[in-house]
Amino acid sequence: MTDVTLRARLVRPFQTALPSVLSVALALAVCFLAIVASQGSLWVAARAYAEMAWGGFGDLPKLFAGADASALTRPWGETASKTALLTLTGLSVAVAFSVGLFNIGAQGQMMVGALSAAVLGGKLALPWPLHVAVCLAGAALAGAAYAEIAAALKLERGVHEVISTIMLNWIAVSLVENWLVVGPLRAQASGDNSISGTDEILASAQLPRLLGETSRLHAGILVAAALAVAVWYWLARTRYGFESRAVGLGPEAARAAGIPVAARVYQAMALSGALAGVAGAVLVMGTEHKFPATLGAPYGFDGIAISLIGQNHPLGVLASAALFGALRAGGTRMQLLGVHKSFPELIQGLALLFVAARLVWETLLSRFRREPAASATVEVPRA
Amino acid sequence: MQALDDASLEIRDGERLAVVGENGAGKTSLMNVLYGLYQPDRGEVRIGGEAVRLKSPKEALARGIGMVHQHFMLVPSLTVAENVVLGKEPARHGLFDLRAANEHVLATCRRFGFALDPEAPVESLSVGSQQKVEIVKALHRGARTLILDEPTAVLTPQEADELFAVARQLTAAGHTVIFISHKLKEVLAIATRIAVMRRGAVVADVAPGATSVKELAELMVRASPTPLSPSRVEREPPPGAQLPFSPSGAGGEPPPATRPPFSPSGVEGPSTSLRHARGERSSGSDQVEPRTPVLEVTDLTARGSRGRPALQGVSLTVAAGEIVGLAGVDGNGQRELAEVLTGLRPYDAGTFSLGGTVLCNPSPAALRQLGLAHVPEDRLKRAVVGPMSVEENVTLGRQHLPPFARGARIDFAGRRERAARLIADYDVRPPDPTARMVELSGGNQQKVVVARELDATPRLLVAVQPTRGLDVQAVAQVHARLRAERNRGCAVLVVSLDLDELLAVCDRLYVFFEGRVAGEIARARFDERFIGRLMLGARAETDTRD
Repeated sequence: MTDVTLRARLVRPFQTALPSVLSVALALAVCFLAIVASQGSLWVAARAYAEMAWGGFGDLPKLFAGADASALTRPWGETASKTALLTLTGLSVAVAFSVGLFNIGAQGQMMVGALSAAVLGGKLALPWPLHVAVCLAGAALAGAAYAEIAAALKLERGVHEVISTIMLNWIAVSLVENWLVVGPLRAQASGDNSISGTDEILASAQLPRLLGETSRLHAGILVAAALAVAVWYWLARTRYGFESRAVGLGPEAARAAGIPVAARVYQAMALSGALAGVAGAVLVMGTEHKFPATLGAPYGFDGIAISLIGQNHPLGVLASAALFGALRAGGTRMQLLGVHKSFPELIQGLALLFVAARLVWETLLSRFRREPAASATVEVPRA
Repeated sequence: MQALDDASLEIRDGERLAVVGENGAGKTSLMNVLYGLYQPDRGEVRIGGEAVRLKSPKEALARGIGMVHQHFMLVPSLTVAENVVLGKEPARHGLFDLRAANEHVLATCRRFGFALDPEAPVESLSVGSQQKVEIVKALHRGARTLILDEPTAVLTPQEADELFAVARQLTAAGHTVIFISHKLKEVLAIATRIAVMRRGAVVADVAPGATSVKELAELMVRASPTPLSPSRVEREPPPGAQLPFSPSGAGGEPPPATRPPFSPSGVEGPSTSLRHARGERSSGSDQVEPRTPVLEVTDLTARGSRGRPALQGVSLTVAAGEIVGLAGVDGNGQRELAEVLTGLRPYDAGTFSLGGTVLCNPSPAALRQLGLAHVPEDRLKRAVVGPMSVEENVTLGRQHLPPFARGARIDFAGRRERAARLIADYDVRPPDPTARMVELSGGNQQKVVVARELDATPRLLVAVQPTRGLDVQAVAQVHARLRAERNRGCAVLVVSLDLDELLAVCDRLYVFFEGRVAGEIARARFDERFIGRLMLGARAETDTRD
C-alpha cells in the first residue's frame, strides 16, 4: 500500500468520523450533567447511565446473577427494532443529501409505506417468503412515488423540497391517520374489544423473529443492514452514485460535464422515498403487525439527525442508528430510577447540535486562519 | 501560509507606483495590509513617519488610503451618485438628500476631470466607466493614495489609455496612485517607479526608464524552479535576444510541434511587433492547407440570463488545426456564445453543427460524444467539484467510459492510473490524486481541468478565459497546450477578455460587439488599436481577412 492509498483508506475516514464521535461523547457528558442537575445526585445519574447501557446492549449484571439468555436477547430485540427504523430513515435522508436535496419528508413517505405494507399484508393471501417480499416492495414503491412528487415539483416548478416535503408530511397524516385508518381501512371490531388501527396482517407477511419468543428481535435489522451496505455500494462504487454525488456537490459542474442532473435527482429521490417506505413496512411487519392508530415515534424526523450525525455516509448512518437505537431502547429503563426516558432524545439532539455547530466552528476557524501570516512594513507619505 | 515575508515598501507623494510580481508573490496581500484588511504579524505601516495600526478599511480611508478592487463593489441598479455616497449619504431632515448627492458627486467628477453622469444607473455603464465610478467613490471619501488592483484586466486598450490619463491627472494634482499589474508593457508606460515582488518580499525597486520588460520578467521569476518568461512578454523580446525558455520548460511537457507564427492562410502581413510570436522555427511539416470546418454556426440568436437578446445573428466557423479567438468587451455575447456551444444555454434560432452533424439545442453529453471539450470560465462552479478529489474530478465528463468505469462500476485502478499520469504530465502540485480539489491552488486546478479536457482528444475545444488568475508560468503552460492541440488537428476556440492573450495565441479573431460579430481578423492583420475600435462598436470598413 502506498502512502497515498494508506492515507485515503485509513486516515481520511478517521478524520471524517472523529467530529461525530467527539460530538456524541460531548452530548453524553452534557446530558449526564443535566441528569445530575435534575436529580441532584451524581450517584443516580451514574446508575441511570448504567441502566441505559444494560437496557440497550444487554443486561450483563443480571446474566452474571444467574438469569437466562433472555437478559441479553430481550434488550437486543428492542435495540434492533429501533436501530432498523432509524437506519432506514437515516439512509433515506442521506441518499437525498447525496444529490443536494434536504428530504424532510421521510416521515410522510414512511407513513404511506407503512399503510401499503399493512394493506398488502392484510388483504393479499400469498405464501410466506413471497408475501414478505411483495409487502416490502409495495411499501418501497409507495414511498418512492410519494417522494417523486417533491422531486417533480422541485425540477419542473422550482418548489423548494424542504417546503414541499413538509407539506406532503401533513397531507400524509391527514390522508392516512386521520381518514383511511379511522375510516375505510379501520379494523372490524370482534367481540368486545375495541380495536384501533387496521386489520392485523397475515402471519405470512410478518418478518420472522430471529431469537425465539423471549426477544422481539426480527429480521428488520437484517433488511436495514443489507440496504445500508447496498446504498454504500451504489454511492461509492458505481458511476451512478458518483454522478449523484457530483450533482450534489457541484450541480453546475455536473451539468457541464454532461451528467443528466434531473435524472439523477429523480433517481435519488425515488431511492430516498423507497427507503423511508421500507422503514414503514418494517415497523408494520416486524413490530406492530398492523398500521396502528398513530405511527408512534417520529422516526422520519429522527432520520435527519441520524443522517447528519453519521456524516451522510451509509455506514456512518448504520453506526449512529445502532448507537441511538440502543440508547433509546435502554433509556426507558432509566424510569426505574425516576429519570425521564426522554433523556436519550436529549443526547441525540445535543449530538446533532454539536455536529452542526462543528460546521460553524470550522467556518469561523478557517476564516481566522485565512488571514495570512504576514510581516510587512509599508511607508506612506502623509496623506 | 506565509503570504508576506519581511516585505518593505516605501510610497512617495505624488508618484505612480507599480507593484508587479507573479501570482502568489504577495502583491495583493501587501496592499491589503495597507488598506487595513490584513494585520501584519510583524512590521508596521507608517504614514508620514508616524506608525499607525490600520484595523479596517474604514481606518485606512480615514487616513486617506483608498482601494479599487479587481471586482467592483457597486450596486448595479443604483445611480452613479447613489453608489458614490453609499455609506456616507448626505441627509436633510434625516432623509437621504439625493439632490445634494448629485451635486457633490458632480463636483468631485469635475474637479478630477471625469465625464460621468451622476444620475445614470451603474448597470448602464461600460466596465471602464464603472471603474471610474469606483475611483470617484474613493476620491469622494478623501483618498489621497489610491490602490488599483489589476485595473486594466477588464478594459479595452482605449479604456486603459483613458485610465492612464486619469492616473496622470491625479498624480499631477498631488495624489498617489499604486497599481498592481501583470502587464509589464503597461507598467513601463505609466509608472514612475516599479516595485517587484517575489515570494512575499519586495525584491527590486526600479525606474521604468532604466529597465525593460525582459528584465522585469526575470526579476519576477528568478530562482523559480523552471524559469520561464511570461507569454505576454515574449511577444516583444529585445532585438536579437535569445528567447529565455522553451516550452519544454513548462513542467517537462514535450515541446509542441512548431508552426509558423503567422496567419493560417500563410499570408505574410505587414511586420508589426505584435506578430513576433514565440520565435518558433518553422518546421514546414504542418502546412496542411485549410481546412475542414469543425464548428459551423450561422445566424445564431439566443437570450441572456435576464431574457435580453445576447446573440443576434452570429455566424462563425472554426476549422481543424486553428485557434480562433473571440474578442470583445465583457458582456457583448461572447460568454453566451460559449454557453450555447457547450450545451449550457438554449438558442432560439440559427444553425449549429459540430463535425458535420447538424444539432438542435444539444445537451452537454451529446456534444461531448461528438468530441467537444470545454474549459469553462468559472472554474470552481462549472469546471470542478471542489469537495471531490483530483482523481474524481479527472473523470468528470467521461465518468461512464473506460478507463474510469467498467459497466456501472467505477474502475478505481484505471482511474488512479490515469489521474497519476495526468498529474505527472501536467506537473500538478501536490502530486496526490486523492487531494481534494479545493486544496489546490487556482493554477493547479486549471492544470487538472486542462489535462482532463485534453485527455479526451477532442475535435473542438472551447476554452473560456483559460488563463484567468494564473501566474506567468501557468499561463505559458496553458498556451503551449492550446498550441499543441491545434497542431494535433483540434479546432480551438478561445474566449478571453484579455486581448493580449488572444493576440498571443490565436490564428484568427472574431470581435464581438452587442451580440454580433463586428469583425473577423486574420493573424496577419492583427492590430491592437483597430481591434480595440471594433470592440467599442466601430464597424469594420473592409473584410480584413485575406
